[in-house]
Amino acid sequence: MDFGIRDDDQLIVDTMSAFAAEQLRPALRTAEAAHAVSPPVRASFGELGFEDLDMPEAAGGAGLGMLTRVLANIALARADAGAAIGLDRVGPALHVLRAFGGDDAVARFARPVLDAPGARVALIIEEADRDLAAAGRISGGAAWVPTDRADLVVGLGPTGAWVLEGGARLQPVPGAGLQAAGASRIDFDGPAAAAWSDPEAAARALARVRVYHGALIVGVLEDATEFTRAYAQERVAFGQPIAHHQGLAFLIVDMFTAVEQARLLIEDAARRMEAGDDAVQEAAAAFVEAVEASRFVGPNGVQILGGHGFMRDFPVEKAMRDCRALGLLAGGLHRARDDAASLAAAFEEA
Amino acid sequence: MELNLSPELRRLVDEAREWGEREVRPAGLEADRNAAPLPPEHPYFRKFVDSGRAGARAQAAETPEGRMVRSVVLGEESAYWDRGMGVATPGAGFPSGAVNASGTAEQKERFLGPFRELKDPHWASFALTEPGGGSDTAAFRTRATRTDRGWLLNGAKCFIGNAARADWILVQATLDPSLGRAGQRSFFVEKGTAGLSGMKIEKKMGLRAYESVSFVLENCEVPAENVLGGEEREARAPGSGTGAYGATMGALNSARVGVAASALGIARAALDEARRFAKDSGAIRHPRVRDELERVLRKLRAARLATLKAGWMVDQRRGNVVESSMAKILAAEIAQEAGTLGMEIVGLEAGAGEVLIEKLFRDAKALNIVEGTGQIQRVIIARQLVGLPR
Repeated sequence: MDFGIRDDDQLIVDTMSAFAAEQLRPALRTAEAAHAVSPPVRASFGELGFEDLDMPEAAGGAGLGMLTRVLANIALARADAGAAIGLDRVGPALHVLRAFGGDDAVARFARPVLDAPGARVALIIEEADRDLAAAGRISGGAAWVPTDRADLVVGLGPTGAWVLEGGARLQPVPGAGLQAAGASRIDFDGPAAAAWSDPEAAARALARVRVYHGALIVGVLEDATEFTRAYAQERVAFGQPIAHHQGLAFLIVDMFTAVEQARLLIEDAARRMEAGDDAVQEAAAAFVEAVEASRFVGPNGVQILGGHGFMRDFPVEKAMRDCRALGLLAGGLHRARDDAASLAAAFEEA
Repeated sequence: MELNLSPELRRLVDEAREWGEREVRPAGLEADRNAAPLPPEHPYFRKFVDSGRAGARAQAAETPEGRMVRSVVLGEESAYWDRGMGVATPGAGFPSGAVNASGTAEQKERFLGPFRELKDPHWASFALTEPGGGSDTAAFRTRATRTDRGWLLNGAKCFIGNAARADWILVQATLDPSLGRAGQRSFFVEKGTAGLSGMKIEKKMGLRAYESVSFVLENCEVPAENVLGGEEREARAPGSGTGAYGATMGALNSARVGVAASALGIARAALDEARRFAKDSGAIRHPRVRDELERVLRKLRAARLATLKAGWMVDQRRGNVVESSMAKILAAEIAQEAGTLGMEIVGLEAGAGEVLIEKLFRDAKALNIVEGTGQIQRVIIARQLVGLPR
């Protein structure tokens, strides 16, 4: 049993954290307004070798595991979760391709995206399965995807998955959060480049997509709690720092505790995945925990700053919107709760 | 327990489970029904000692997991079967940490030696809490006064585990209340010492299997060599040492982890009872019931990870003030929630007061009070996070 961070991972976390602090954080509001990470920032992310961090070695990547991805996402999202999504151009679709089509599918579909400057993958989580046998054509849409480009569209349903090369039309939308990633309405129609049906692969893929987004939520919440803690020690009311009024002191403690629970569960699910376990129930539960933590921590981060929190001069309002938006991805909270609960009910022992 | 344990620790857990199911749970239920601790001469304690589970040998088994992680895992398993019986376990459990940390070689031999290979059930006890103060250890009023022959203790203690049956009680007292923590010392008060009186075994809502005792110290004279750490330490730095208090608070730091582990055990027992009943009754098909069970399972898992992490930090010798308090909060709160939800799911049958979940519901409440209430844990964390003034 080890709660430590491996040396290799620590190096990645340190480098990513420095990158995030120096390049993402100062550009927080400009990237948000531009709906894009600036080209120089994108270039230096690529130069650091972070673009293919968890892409399998067979597809020319670094082949690192789920825990590394979790730590990387937390480090990046502590600065800007929207930028974290925008910089990971293949994103969690990697896990869908890999679960259904193995390294071959990754090499065939994801690698070319990385090799084309600025290209992006859009991941669509669908609530119902498509009739993939009759398919040939895939058409549909989504009201929001956190991207401004979709060179490849990957769909994940309850038991199957599909891939569409080209054929996506994107229309910019304002977005509720995560704007640095881009924000678009997407419509797609075209011949399926691949289609699979495999319920176990679908569960495995969704579990990883959940852990991926759960880690981003944890990063946002860690930043929000840290910012709040610093602010509350400086801001004075009634003769003492507001953090020293027990009503706020306890609230801040409960916020940190909520984030720690989410982090422990997300990391645990990732560790299980690295150990070869699908961790489907654990991943669903961890995502639920992260979203619930975000519903508590996000608004309270703003609350503690009071009127200032409501103003865009401070990052807590962005954290509240970003973590709320993140919880809508990966199929959303209710589906995760359904999965976590029905699988837990089948457990023989806690 | 869904943990990836070493084979050695897995074996210890399996043994604890087998012992717990066969011996501990029935004994705990008996005490609960009698609304009184099992008497020291109860056959359970004899069986416990004869089983070789007492003393240093049983504790010394090596596992790849560190000592504290192992103790968390075994603590959860033990409390799963009955937390009250765990506290009632013969041995020098509670005070041994402080004695090992601060006692002289002579004191370790004299007071802990007899517990190394127990032949008969014996207990030792640790007395901190007073009627006027629980968590505010710096405000304790029990006084220690120097005499020609040793020390004179005056004061009162309450809620002290196993004190009425203990061979000796390690009593916390102050040399001078105006010195606060710096004035505090610990004293070995042996059974039968004149002035140790008024032993009253409290009636409790739950955790009835062990004695919680109030007693009075009235001109209770203990020999000079009975001050923890010895007279020499006192001579070196009279009245200024942080010895007793430091040892106490140091011990509390892993003690919080230990209590969290116990709370995990109660929570898991309650969850298992609730789930078993929900399956048998068919209630598990109801989405609302499923959601509530899922929440408890999830929070229990998070609390377990938090507790293991806090224990792992002890093993790694990393400061764990925040982590141990968080673990204590999370584990105690989920134990309470699991018991409360279990009552709901079992329903009127639980209301009848004859099923295990009803006992667990009562037992669990104590875990959010002992070893620092949930509110005190928040104060401790807030001091670290935002510099909340003392």
